[in-house]
Amino acid sequence: MKEMSLTTPITEEQVLSLDVNDTVYITGIVYTARDMAHLKVRQLLLHKENLPEDFSGGVIFHAGPVVKKVDGGWEIWVIGPTTSIRMEPYAEMVGQLGVKVIVGKGGMGEDTLQSLAKYGSVYLLAAPGCGVTHAEAVKKVLRVHWLAELSVPEAIWVLEVNKWGPLIVGMDAQGRSIFKCIALKASNVKERFFKVQ
Amino acid sequence: MAILSEKSVIDKQFLKEQMSLLLREKCYTTISPDVIYLMKKSYEEETSDSAKEMLKTMIGNVRMAENRKKPVCQSPGFPTVYIRWGKGTDIAGLKDILKEEIVNDTKDGFLRPSMVHPRTRKNTGDNSGVGVPNMELEYDPALDFMEILISFKGCGAELGNAIKIFTPAQIGKEAKGIKEFVIDTVIKAGGKPCPPIALGIGIGGQMDIAAKLSRRAVSVRKWTDHNPDPEIARMEEEILGMINQLGIGPGGVGGKTTALAVRYLPSSGELSLLGCKEGWDENLSHWEDRVSF
Repeated sequence: MKEMSLTTPITEEQVLSLDVNDTVYITGIVYTARDMAHLKVRQLLLHKENLPEDFSGGVIFHAGPVVKKVDGGWEIWVIGPTTSIRMEPYAEMVGQLGVKVIVGKGGMGEDTLQSLAKYGSVYLLAAPGCGVTHAEAVKKVLRVHWLAELSVPEAIWVLEVNKWGPLIVGMDAQGRSIFKCIALKASNVKERFFKVQ
Repeated sequence: MAILSEKSVIDKQFLKEQMSLLLREKCYTTISPDVIYLMKKSYEEETSDSAKEMLKTMIGNVRMAENRKKPVCQSPGFPTVYIRWGKGTDIAGLKDILKEEIVNDTKDGFLRPSMVHPRTRKNTGDNSGVGVPNMELEYDPALDFMEILISFKGCGAELGNAIKIFTPAQIGKEAKGIKEFVIDTVIKAGGKPCPPIALGIGIGGQMDIAAKLSRRAVSVRKWTDHNPDPEIARMEEEILGMINQLGIGPGGVGGKTTALAVRYLPSSGELSLLGCKEGWDENLSHWEDRVSF
């Protein structure tokens, strides 16, 4: 298990050097995106319309923050990961966008695991329920997209973060997933409990 | 939890002030002492490094939230208020007070605006909405006080919930079928509901009753208490022991701290021509959800 600091834009080479259970700290730009932002990106791509950001080499954070208005701008008051599996239907799309790092909680499924290997990207786990801690790493809100249409939690917040972490590599570009591995072990333990005696 | 007593007619202004204090001081910005106790105990007993690190971050985050008067988690979940009151007290106006407080607390950054229209997904922007908060009322004329317990339960945990209608054959000897269903549900949920979880089990009645019981089980009972019924207490301990051998761990990173408590609430089932039906629901709760009191 190694520790690594990444600065955006993140390269495929950096991603490929990461293994499950490694610890990562991120500095640079992070985009929040939940269900509705993913859905809207898909609609725009379908209609061949422009996206508000170039996500290549980027970091997507499955999160909807609590924000406060401060002299003409915004402050991220509290922010933390939301349950990532809801974004599983967009696995291929996110890979095509060139996103190198997905941060969330709870892990993702088989489609994401394939997409990570295909496009050379990773899934990182952020400590769940730790909204104050994660907000500490956010230095600035650079801009926000679709706020009026999608509302505070669902908008894309473009954040500048500094040494954000520790984030744990939950799924790597080599097709390994701690979630899959843990679920398999748990199933084996369960078999022992209910074995017919 | 607030217990308001003595006055036969509770002054609206007094009630409003009490609710505001309860929400801001005890609900959003901290978690209840029983859960903190269990988190610290788990930290001491945990042997996996990454699980220990995860628990340390979670406990540290609660302290930071308390000190900075910030909400512990950005995702408040859905509020249910459990109220017990008696002949001498009056709950008129309480729902309006709670609705108003929730809207004010959203404006002040204690809650994220999270309530959306069920069809259009349009966010109301201030957590107002039909059926918010949900009120569970219990009138007992003998009570000479009013008890108000506010519970925000996160919705990531909802993704792990499961319900099954069992036949007697499926329940099996010593409720083996039920236990197996619980363990399968916990494995399937994995790290999604922010473990360490508390698991609420509602059994009996019909589907609606079982679902309500399971939510009540994790929200109302302390996670540290012992069930007064020794049979049920034994089953809760047994299931908790099994869950914590699964190795899911805090945040799903592996480890032995997967659940802090198992809480079971039964209701009588119905004997029909088809046999005994039991509705049963499992309600998973995030570690930071027991924010009532």
